[in-house]
Amino acid sequence: MKQLNQYKRNKRAQDEMVGFALILIMVAVIFIVIISVWIRKPQEKTVNYEANSFIQSLLQYTTSCEEDYGNLTVQDLLAKCKEGNPCYYNDQMNQQSDPCKILNNTIREIVKASWQTGVNSSIKGYSFNINISEDGTNEEQFINIKEGVVTNNYRGGEQDLPPERGSWEYAVILFNVYS
Amino acid sequence: MKIQQMSFMLIAVFMFFALVGMIVVTLMLSHIRDSATQLKEQNAKLMASRIAGSPEFTCGEVYGSVKTDCIDLDKVMALKLNIDKYTKFWGVTNIQIRRIYPPIIINNQAREVECTNTNYPRCNLINLVSNSNSGYDRSNYVALCRKEKYNDEVVNKCEMGEIILRYQEAGTK
Repeated sequence: MKQLNQYKRNKRAQDEMVGFALILIMVAVIFIVIISVWIRKPQEKTVNYEANSFIQSLLQYTTSCEEDYGNLTVQDLLAKCKEGNPCYYNDQMNQQSDPCKILNNTIREIVKASWQTGVNSSIKGYSFNINISEDGTNEEQFINIKEGVVTNNYRGGEQDLPPERGSWEYAVILFNVYS
Repeated sequence: MKIQQMSFMLIAVFMFFALVGMIVVTLMLSHIRDSATQLKEQNAKLMASRIAGSPEFTCGEVYGSVKTDCIDLDKVMALKLNIDKYTKFWGVTNIQIRRIYPPIIINNQAREVECTNTNYPRCNLINLVSNSNSGYDRSNYVALCRKEKYNDEVVNKCEMGEIILRYQEAGTK
């Protein structure tokens, strides 16, 4: 009889321990699920006014591509590059007249001067893309400039360009800065 | 004895949940704090854009259609002559306009040359308002446009620059 009581007490203690362990496991699982959902939550891209202002200012920059009506802005040069005609006066003066080369160099230099990347800088890298769609459906990467490293912490801006007859139906500038 | 065991058990479970809850709340709070800092930062940068868009600075329709983030440098140089009347107008202690690109290269090094009436536009820095050396700076990118004489014609010239505003820190005068 005494042995039976001892057995029953041990059995109950075991049951309680198993119950406690189950509760702990359940809580741990719930906790892990919450944490994994939290971590896996896709990083939201912060729309950055600074990046947007940068794109706006860049589009207004006066380039070295010269036509009879004056020097072209980056926005005008983009259309000229798509058309494929050389810059008229540059051609006459034996200077660089390929609009695409001027466009690429100008954007590259301006982005480099404005967003300095490096190990000691808070900016680790950037990417600058211009995507163009001639028919409004198929998008092609027209300009792609990258520098530094890509991180999960980034902010960016984008700017749609109005349709340009004969050049594109839809164009968008995407600029991301990685910290 | 059993009640004692159960109460211990309950306290242990309660403490465990409280601990988990505290960790979660701390994580959430740090996220909210980050967002608040980010918003504050964005607001200050927007202020730079707003000042760039004010009538005293903006390009308006002088350089074609109305543009955002565009500063008329000729206008700013004229404003610099009468800046005494405007020192407290914008609620900031310093306003600086700096050209980023193209740089001024002297002896193979990029230099800063402050603009005066005599060297404009062969310069890259305009100190419009300079009331304080302390405080915190906020800047935003702008296009710096001016009229230029080229082959007996007046043409538009826009370059890349930034407007830097300095605010007095809270609690200081």
